[in-house]
Amino acid sequence: MSFFHPLIPLVCCALGAAIAAAHGLTPINRLVPTRIYGWVVAAFPMAAFISLVGMADQLFQGQMKAIVFQQPWIPGLATDEGSGISFSIYLDGLSILFALLITGIGVLVTVYTGYYFSGTKTAWRFATYMCLFMVSMLGVVVAGDLILLFVFWEATSITSFLLIGYKGESEAARRGAFKSLFITGGGGIALLVGLLMISMITGTFSLGEVLTQGDVIQASPLYPWLLALVVLGCITKSAQVPFHTWLPDGMTAPTPASAYLHSATMVKAGIYLLARLHPSLGDSDLWFWSLTSIGAVTMVTGAWLGVRQTDLKALLAYSTVSQLGALVMLIGQKADIAFKALAVGILAHALYKSALFMLAGIVDHETGTRDLRKLGGLRAKMPRTAIVAMVAGLSMAGLPPMFGFLAKETMLAMVAHPSLPDVLVFLLSSAAVVAGALIFCQAAILVLGTFFGSSRDQETFDHAHDAPWGMLLAPLLPALLSLLIIIPVSTWPVELLGAAAQSVYGEKVKIDLSLWHGLNTALLLSIIAVSIGTTLFLARRRFIALQHRLDPGPVCNALYRGSILGIDGSSWLVTRVQNGYLRMYLLIMFVGLGIMVLVAGLPPLPTRLPPLRLDDGWVLVRVVAIALATAAAVSTVLLKRDLYAILALGASGLAVAVLFLLIPAPDVALVMIVVDILMLVILVLALVRFPKPQREGADELDYQETWLGKWRDGLVSAGVGLATALAMLFVLVTRPDPAGLGEIAWERESRVTDFFFAAAKPLTGAADVVGAILIDFRATDTYLEIMVFALAGAGVYTLLRFASPAAGDDATDAAPADLQANRGPGASFWPVAESPLTRLLALLILPLSLMLALAHVLFGHDQPGDGFTAGVVASLAVAFWYIILGYEGVHRTLPWLRPMNFVGGGLSLGIVVAIMGAIFNQNAFSPVNFALMLGITTPYGISLSTGLMFEVAIFLAVLGGATLVIDTLGHPRDRDTESDRQATLLPVLEARGDVTSPLEDEDEDDSHAASVARED
Amino acid sequence: MEVLTALSVGIMMAVGVYQILRRNLIRSAIGLMLVANAVNLFVIYCGAYRGDVPAYVDVAGARSDPLPQALVLTAIVIGMGGFAFVLAMIYVFCVRYGTGDMDKVDRLKH
Repeated sequence: MSFFHPLIPLVCCALGAAIAAAHGLTPINRLVPTRIYGWVVAAFPMAAFISLVGMADQLFQGQMKAIVFQQPWIPGLATDEGSGISFSIYLDGLSILFALLITGIGVLVTVYTGYYFSGTKTAWRFATYMCLFMVSMLGVVVAGDLILLFVFWEATSITSFLLIGYKGESEAARRGAFKSLFITGGGGIALLVGLLMISMITGTFSLGEVLTQGDVIQASPLYPWLLALVVLGCITKSAQVPFHTWLPDGMTAPTPASAYLHSATMVKAGIYLLARLHPSLGDSDLWFWSLTSIGAVTMVTGAWLGVRQTDLKALLAYSTVSQLGALVMLIGQKADIAFKALAVGILAHALYKSALFMLAGIVDHETGTRDLRKLGGLRAKMPRTAIVAMVAGLSMAGLPPMFGFLAKETMLAMVAHPSLPDVLVFLLSSAAVVAGALIFCQAAILVLGTFFGSSRDQETFDHAHDAPWGMLLAPLLPALLSLLIIIPVSTWPVELLGAAAQSVYGEKVKIDLSLWHGLNTALLLSIIAVSIGTTLFLARRRFIALQHRLDPGPVCNALYRGSILGIDGSSWLVTRVQNGYLRMYLLIMFVGLGIMVLVAGLPPLPTRLPPLRLDDGWVLVRVVAIALATAAAVSTVLLKRDLYAILALGASGLAVAVLFLLIPAPDVALVMIVVDILMLVILVLALVRFPKPQREGADELDYQETWLGKWRDGLVSAGVGLATALAMLFVLVTRPDPAGLGEIAWERESRVTDFFFAAAKPLTGAADVVGAILIDFRATDTYLEIMVFALAGAGVYTLLRFASPAAGDDATDAAPADLQANRGPGASFWPVAESPLTRLLALLILPLSLMLALAHVLFGHDQPGDGFTAGVVASLAVAFWYIILGYEGVHRTLPWLRPMNFVGGGLSLGIVVAIMGAIFNQNAFSPVNFALMLGITTPYGISLSTGLMFEVAIFLAVLGGATLVIDTLGHPRDRDTESDRQATLLPVLEARGDVTSPLEDEDEDDSHAASVARED
Repeated sequence: MEVLTALSVGIMMAVGVYQILRRNLIRSAIGLMLVANAVNLFVIYCGAYRGDVPAYVDVAGARSDPLPQALVLTAIVIGMGGFAFVLAMIYVFCVRYGTGDMDKVDRLKH
């Protein structure tokens, strides 16, 4: 057998889905009618079915317990010593039985789907969902990994949701779909936790290994919890009380889906998983009592509720619930006969129930209704359908010589088994007999009420006609199989069921499919059940009336509705926290952060502080800088006007630069100084563009805040500040202190710094270690950072050019007064007064700053300064030009100033540096010294290397990014637009005396500039 | 001195956070910068050594730690870029919503 053989069924079904979807393509859709296309798609599950039969043969003949395929999927997610999550397949008797059912019925249903949707053009969507479901369901039963199994499990829930909600225009379909997803999805979460607990205990995700570690799992204290979770997942999927309500509501799905998902396959996923895990979780008392009670209650409830249904599909749905209950009950038992009953029951139920569903679909299709109150006597119109329904109905009723009879007999033999306590035998037998009688009654109502008697609705009767053979074939085959499987022509069914039962039970289970077991308790019980059933059927009107009188109302639905209402209600709570106020979110984040730092990361506070060093001569400067930085920061709060606060911020930044200088970190201090100034310039430039009412309104806002809010924010910030201060103190006193100046409890050690000191000169040729780190050791990081900086510039450009209202946004078609105010400063800031002195200054400052920048670039590797400083210094000069000369002036006098080109050039140059390093040193960004290579000695210690090129690249990118921001802020386009608007508004404004003339000249700009100066 | 430094960084951080939480968007921008300054100071004080001379290869004495300096250096420049971007965003907010009040910016989804 080839390695990939176990994958074939899954691949076939997936291909089927693709082919089904292909019918959505217009040419294919036109060419091939839906009816024919059903046959085409059915070929794929057929192939899967055939390959599975081959595998089953191998399994029966060979000695191996299971066919296994394993491929690592997420090996990194391993538990301590486990193997991680794998894409593995585990095929044993139980999996084969289910897989054969899934693909076999899948073939029939696909063909049936083609006929059911015959004449419509959009059925490809449905067929695709069906095939996708087939893949998922097949995945569930063949998965050999717990997580893989869960993934497929959820996929069945989702595809089921899509299928139930297929007729999305109907509200009932939407509700039914949501309900099924809510219940099965909720169970899925419980299941996931349960499966994770199992893998935690066993240390593996592999199903094969989990199955052998039953003792370990049951010995664990987590066992009751994980059992509860797994069982919850399974009983929601398999529609057990009280979660059964989604199944009848799911009948809004088109009938092929009901026949396939909600009778034969998906609802059996829970049964499958319980049976699958029986070897490791089962056989405990907890298992026995929980499954037996849930199953028995469900069995009776489903049967009781089904009788009074008038909708064919609803009736079938309730009988399915009842059958599923019986199966769950069987899994809970301990005797071997239970597992024979389980295997037989699964097969029998799948056969007759899918047949009956498809027949109900045919009736619906050919008469236009599936309401029992309108049907009757259809035997005359639909003889072929009637015969098939008779056969399947006999099996459902549990009458000989059908397979259903055998299933019921075996189950009755189980509930009367001598190994059970007497009380339980009595209870379970009564439950089984009652359920059997009710199911018998349902079968009779279903078949006799539809096809026999007299018609109850003449119109429906006249409308009816028999189904085409192709459509009838789908229910015919399973119905016939229910009849023929008991004829011993082949040992195949016996082997299949035996292997399935053995996988669940763990030991060999004797299976024989003969109908006559002699006169025993089971037969007796069966006869009682049939008699009661017949009586009930004959007196069905009175019985149903009695049921209605006894009805306690939709208890389980109320549970569901209650939980939905509860969730809706709790959204109230959530919106109290998620209230849409951004500040509140920030506040909560800060509180969380503060708590994390204070509680989790609270460092051991030092008992003794290092002595104060007064001998370094800088103490005074240090104290003054600290005081200045802190005081300026505090005064940003106290100053009421934004502009003053901004100036205070600048002062604080400069003081911080002094502190950097005292580290001593001259490179950082330099950058800090220039950046601080440039930032202030940008901030002021941006601020004057703000519409005036908003700026003034913003000033007022401070007063609108409540004292409570201020105190709350103050407390939070104080907490964050305290946490920061404590962490800072801890960091400061634990610094390595080679001079041994202080006595501290614990010292950090530095591992990388010494390396940098030792390697800077030989590896990079730079004496400035900070520069060496920037342009070499962390060059990739530096490159990414200049890229980010350039992107930020581009972001400003995009926001102001395209997202601001000037670009055709109507969000602020505000009042004329607003516009007028807006025009003032924003329009006239550039150019400001141009005096000869300022012009001279500007002319001087640009070449000077460019020389300064050049020096930084050339000598940055040995001296303080680098490309960043150079870029910012040059940008400052450019900003000055913009202020003095205005946008047009700068563009006229400096035609070479194209920010985008700078950015592009800098970033490209960086790439070149990386490539050169890669070519010459096989290491991107590593320095290449051209002077050394060419044998040239450079004057003044200038290094002719890629390091220099990288400094230039940084310089260009930073200059480009910064000038892009300045250029955008200085762009007169908004002003133009506003003058245009004012031109149209002019008459109005002039009439109000608000404006003198829209055509401003230089002088008027002066006066506006003066008014700006007064304002600020 | 260590206590004083720690206190100062803590106060700057606290003031920054307080400013970020203001309704006035411009104050939030100021707060952002203050927090950035405090964090930069914090990182640079995290340096392994208490230095007396700059981190050059060919100098004698206790050199400062170059690694946090390199990190902070780029952080400062990026901080400026980010700050300019935030300002542009605030500007667009102010013009679109007609207010600089953070509590009134409630139509982010439009």
